[in-house]
Amino acid sequence: MSTSAFQQKRSFQLPFSPAFLIWLGFLGVLLAIGVYSAITVFIKGLYITNMTDSVPWGLWITVDLSSIALGAGAFTLSAIVYIFGIKRLQPIIRLAVLVGFAGYTSAMVTLLMDIGRPDRFWHPWVFWNVHSVLWEVTMCITVYLMILVTEFAPVIVDAKIFDKWPRIRKFGHFLHRFTPFLAVLGLLISLLHQSSLGATYGVIKSRPIWFKPSMPIMFVLSAIAAGPAVTVAVAYVVEWITRKRTVPHDVLQIITRFSGVGLLAYGYIKFWDMAAVTYYGRTPGVSTAFALLQQQTPYPFAFWVGEVILGILAPAILFLVPRFNKNPAAAVLGALSAMIGIVIHRWDVTVGGLFVPLSYSPGTAFELPIGKYFPALIEWGVIVLVIGYALTVVTLAVKFLPLFERKEH
Amino acid sequence: MTAQKKRTKKKVVVELTRSDVLKVAAATVGAVIAAPLLTTGPLSPFGQFKQEQLEGEPQVGHGAVTGEYHWGMVINLDQCIGCEYCQRACSATNDVRADDPWNVVIPDKTSGGATFFLSRPCLHCQNAPCVEVCPVKATYHREDGLVVMDYDRCIGCRYCQVACPYDARRFNWEARSDENPYVPAWGDPEVERRPRGVVEKCTFCIQRIDKALENGLTPGEDRDATPACVNICPVRARTFGNLKDENSRVVQLIATNPTLRLRDELGTEASVYYIPPKEGI
Repeated sequence: MSTSAFQQKRSFQLPFSPAFLIWLGFLGVLLAIGVYSAITVFIKGLYITNMTDSVPWGLWITVDLSSIALGAGAFTLSAIVYIFGIKRLQPIIRLAVLVGFAGYTSAMVTLLMDIGRPDRFWHPWVFWNVHSVLWEVTMCITVYLMILVTEFAPVIVDAKIFDKWPRIRKFGHFLHRFTPFLAVLGLLISLLHQSSLGATYGVIKSRPIWFKPSMPIMFVLSAIAAGPAVTVAVAYVVEWITRKRTVPHDVLQIITRFSGVGLLAYGYIKFWDMAAVTYYGRTPGVSTAFALLQQQTPYPFAFWVGEVILGILAPAILFLVPRFNKNPAAAVLGALSAMIGIVIHRWDVTVGGLFVPLSYSPGTAFELPIGKYFPALIEWGVIVLVIGYALTVVTLAVKFLPLFERKEH
Repeated sequence: MTAQKKRTKKKVVVELTRSDVLKVAAATVGAVIAAPLLTTGPLSPFGQFKQEQLEGEPQVGHGAVTGEYHWGMVINLDQCIGCEYCQRACSATNDVRADDPWNVVIPDKTSGGATFFLSRPCLHCQNAPCVEVCPVKATYHREDGLVVMDYDRCIGCRYCQVACPYDARRFNWEARSDENPYVPAWGDPEVERRPRGVVEKCTFCIQRIDKALENGLTPGEDRDATPACVNICPVRARTFGNLKDENSRVVQLIATNPTLRLRDELGTEASVYYIPPKEGI
């Protein structure tokens, strides 16, 4: 009887299960570790990280790139549903947009930690340099985040709290009418920045293993392939935890198959990229760079095991072989594997590329030493913050927002 | 029946039809094709103007220069003895961290096995990768070709550091509290220390150049107007001056000596020329 009284008050007295409370406690611990690390970095400065002048980008940039790639399910699935008109996949859109939102905001948090002057984070919006890929990336990500929020607004206003404010709810639903238009805009902008994140490296002619036109293609393809799979994995995991149907399984199976094909396409491009850059069209600079990486770093292992086997082959098999495709556990495992592949690829590009020392002397003997970097504990701490943040966003949304209603407006 | 339901839904939800999308896509493609045609291509009203500009300026290497000066340097590798005085004078004058100098001196060998010393300030490229990549234009070209930074604008993303082909950039990982060991023996700081969280670089001592021009001095000839590294060199391996002035010593040196520029194949158009050792590189 007391519960009914609470329900009448319409406050947040929802029946939290002990398991959920433990989960919240776990998230709290993650966030506490993360916030402590972040504040320490803000107070002391970036010198407490292991980044140096020779390896000025590290774990944070890797995670930043990865979380944007893993949030790519939002634009890919929106495009499939609203532009290519495959309405069957509609039920996953809300979740995809949520995962995209979590990914993009996580990237923002990481980036804010990484720049030396977080107080000046707004400078790219005011001081434009249209020649800079990074400027283009910043603008695109900002605009796309706004698109995601607008796409998600109708879901937020359907939450119970907005029973009191019908006007806001009405406005949110009004925004929903623009979804197809936003999907077009989102597709264009996402294709642009998902690619130009690769171009960030691809245009740097001074770095032998970065400078190649395939870089943007590989970034955008891997994101299109892995992003939707991550959304599927979230759907299955939420289903296991809440014990409620989230998205129809046939929908999830179509998407995992799409991801599998996407990964194979990515693998094909990657194969020819490797063949062209390291074999058929190799230049002395590139050969030396790869020889150095091979001799002095675990790069070959990371490439073959991390990027190729874990990142492409294993998930492609788990997504495409019919027996595995129907198995939720296999799909989740595949998505996890593809995720690891993405992170390792972004790490190999960023840190591997910086490990190769610059050689600018015209002489023959001088060579800068190969780069050395392994993230400091405090850098991992900040990553704990990012993970904790993303999990919290998803948890709260699953708990309080009508993510899986098939209601149409 | 579910198929029917979906069809009705479709009518409500999609206000943009597929043909609308195609129209938008076609318009975008058209715009993308039209833009270069109209600006740099054959339809451009600026085409004639650009051709004239090209004819008027046959010399390469003044890419970013719009004024009457283009500051450059000639470094004679045959004369350099590797004493590192330039490094110390630079670190004192610009108050650079002693363990992270802007201006470096490195021993190297020619293909014949003879030792020589390569010293490297910022090369002030006319096609500077660092200027291109900066998302906020904190690094920019002055009209005299110098690549300088606005430390109040830099956000510390370190993309310029990653993009520089010559390792010429330094990041302030922490707030400076170090004592400069080269002050006052090698000179006195003429500029402020840079704050935590920004990238910094060699400026060819712009503070001296700008003041000198106001006072009618000639950078490269008058000591007060010349970069600290050039003044201190005991063997006069470094020469500084205006690359646009045919009578300047830098232009004379380039005209009468074989010269090379570092990583010229990247097309950076550096403003620093090196005279190789006599026996060759």
